[in-house]
Amino acid sequence: MSAAPRPPLDRAALGRVLTRIANAGDPAAWSGPVAPPARGARRIGLTGPPGTGKSTLVRALAAGSLAQGRRVGVIAVDPSSPYTLGAILGDRIRMGEVADHPELFFRSLASRSAHDGLADNLPGMLSAMERHDFDELLVETVGTGQADVGVRALVDCVVLVLMPESGDQIQAMKAGILEIADVLVVNKADLPGAARIAAEVKDTLRLRRSRAWEWVPPVLLASRDDADSCFALARAIDARFAWRGDADDETARRRAGTAYHAKSLLHQRIETLLGELPPETFDLPLREVHRALVTRLSADPDAVD
Amino acid sequence: MTATAGTPVLRGRRILVAKPGLDGHDVGAKVIALALRDAGAEVIYTGLRKSPEQIARVAVEEGVDAVGLSVLSGSHRELAADTIDGLRRAGAGHVRVFVGGTIPAEDFEYLRGLGVRGIYTSAMPLEEVVASVAQALAERSP
Ligand SMILES: Nc1nc2c(ncn2[C@@H]2O[C@H](COP(=O)(O)OP(=O)(O)OP(=O)(O)O)[C@@H](O)[C@H]2O)c(=O)[nH]1
Ligand SMILES: [Mg+2]
Repeated sequence: MSAAPRPPLDRAALGRVLTRIANAGDPAAWSGPVAPPARGARRIGLTGPPGTGKSTLVRALAAGSLAQGRRVGVIAVDPSSPYTLGAILGDRIRMGEVADHPELFFRSLASRSAHDGLADNLPGMLSAMERHDFDELLVETVGTGQADVGVRALVDCVVLVLMPESGDQIQAMKAGILEIADVLVVNKADLPGAARIAAEVKDTLRLRRSRAWEWVPPVLLASRDDADSCFALARAIDARFAWRGDADDETARRRAGTAYHAKSLLHQRIETLLGELPPETFDLPLREVHRALVTRLSADPDAVD
Repeated sequence: MTATAGTPVLRGRRILVAKPGLDGHDVGAKVIALALRDAGAEVIYTGLRKSPEQIARVAVEEGVDAVGLSVLSGSHRELAADTIDGLRRAGAGHVRVFVGGTIPAEDFEYLRGLGVRGIYTSAMPLEEVVASVAQALAERSP
């Protein structure tokens, strides 16, 4: 992976391009470069309810990969206030001294108008990062739990992070986030109840998986201060990457990523247009609202530039 | 977002709240961080005891518009100078720098001379700090 010498990480250039993409609106956001046919970097997503230890595990995974000579990029999303759009982006603080590593790049994002655990224009930002020779990209979702399913379309391996107190949430997760995970971790295994939660999750998964050729998501226990457990998580992720690998799959993933990208840009656009419609529009029958929206929508995107 | 009266003054701004130097008190920094957030900013906090080089690197990676240094140790002169220098060398000379904490009035002129855009002491009401930061960010680069 690191045989050929690669150019040094141009932190300033990447920082600038990410800012430009993050703030791009219509139509600029649509005209980003086409995603390369094959992904240059392993993409790993970490998702799960608030406070389960996603950032702490990002740190452990990043530290492990950096120690192997990999270049690692992290994008970590925190929620924007729906009223002010303000946000405290607190994931970085968990990186500790790993944040100083020369082959690490960490960008915090606010979710802005996204409601699926990611942030506006995040697909374009990941593509931009790929052009800086990263071996691995880690994406931490907002952490609302059930709703954080957007990441599935953008990464190759989804890690769902739970903790002993997540017990009550597992029922609610059955038909959602639990289904999209490739690897499940019950973190904070130093606290009581972790093994019971892990067993419960395994039971829930067993009910669903029946087809022999499907990947069976492992359920692991981890804790911050147990280096072996973090290493085992990294190995489970490696196994997931080793398991896949046929060309069709790559095409399907690329298409899913592009479809997601288009969907999220449209979502942003519609949100903007709804805000611009005169308030009286919403006194009309719903189909008239639809018509007004579609009319404005079809005026874009090329007419604008 | 639907348009409402009074868009928050810092909407769309990214601000790094940083604690350089050795003092271990970050209550003030956190209070400021929350006030900036409530005014619509996206706020990143570095945590305690960061060097000017570390702060400059984070500012570059995070693409911030401004860095607010919170200094209670009395070393605000050196720390502000080194941070501004670090930002320039990291290719982020455009990032505006603010300093808050226990800053004696006789140092204001020196700090302004370095390029510090706003100096805030604990005597200043939060709304004024926020308004001043917003105004400085709205001005064009010198
Ligand atoms: N006891 C224990 N605490 C942990 C462990 N891992 C993380 N924590 C603590 O749990 C809290 C939340 O950790 P984070 O890593 O910030 O969790 P997160 O899922 O990223 O949180 P959000 O991004 O806010 O949703 C912190 O106080 C951590 O120190 C662990 O293995 N054991
Ligand atoms: Mg986190």
